[in-house]
Amino acid sequence: MTILWRKALSLLVGAVLCLPIVGCNMIRVTLNTSLMPEDVAFIVPGQTTLADIVDKLGAPDTLTNSETGVVATYRFLDMKYSRVNFGWLAKPWSPVDPDLIFSRTGFGVDAFEVHCDQQWVVLYQVFQRHLIRPPFYPYPFQQSRALPQNELPLPSGPAIMANHESGTVRSAPQ
Amino acid sequence: MIIGRVVLALLAIGILCQGCAFSRGTLGDDIKAEAVSLIQKGITTKAEVLSLMGAPDRLLQLNGRDVFQYYRYDAKAGSLLLIIFNFTRMSIKSDDVFVILNRDGLVEDIIASKRTDTVRFRFWPFGE
Repeated sequence: MTILWRKALSLLVGAVLCLPIVGCNMIRVTLNTSLMPEDVAFIVPGQTTLADIVDKLGAPDTLTNSETGVVATYRFLDMKYSRVNFGWLAKPWSPVDPDLIFSRTGFGVDAFEVHCDQQWVVLYQVFQRHLIRPPFYPYPFQQSRALPQNELPLPSGPAIMANHESGTVRSAPQ
Repeated sequence: MIIGRVVLALLAIGILCQGCAFSRGTLGDDIKAEAVSLIQKGITTKAEVLSLMGAPDRLLQLNGRDVFQYYRYDAKAGSLLLIIFNFTRMSIKSDDVFVILNRDGLVEDIIASKRTDTVRFRFWPFGE
């Protein structure tokens, strides 16, 4: 009887250990190379030109016009999708095809913008979303961790606030 | 003996490749490096750029200057389908060329980079 219990227990432990990896899908999609603050630390507003940036980071994805000059944007994405189907555990014993799926997708969409004057000299640079690389984590019920304000990597230039009423762009008060 | 080994090797390759998937997608024409190298600042005209590179994918206006943008995207995906575990990794990179033309219709600057050469088929979704 004890041997039978031990076998049943080891089977149960084995099943529990296998549980997190049963019917597991992990998909990752990356678009261009993700840029981190240390990758763009060489940029000095007022000195670095767009040509210097292109030498190190390559051509931007878009160039757009602005009142002060040109905005070069580097877009990148690091999407992670994970899915676990716990229904796989019941497949051998069930007459139907059961599914109990937990899945979660993290779209790591971000962009790095470089604002230049008319002579292509950098005025300031800024990340659009301060991307935190999402881990593969299929549990869908947990809230995403909010990045505390003091953890935000601050841009080296002055912050810009859009005044939507007048349609102009002005520097934020220091 | 040799035939036996060859059969065994083919069998091993067959077992190892079983459950693998390779996918590829491209957007836009290949940007020819020779054509880009022929464009010279202050010399090449708008018409010559068009004859070398073709019509641009996007036409922009920057500070009163015309900018021709050419791009190409290349995506490579590798999947490892092991029934219980499935891993997929897709990498997408782009080639971009911006030709900036001055008001006289001459090339003022050219910004180009080729990233698609570094795209590889990968299966492992973790790490870099």
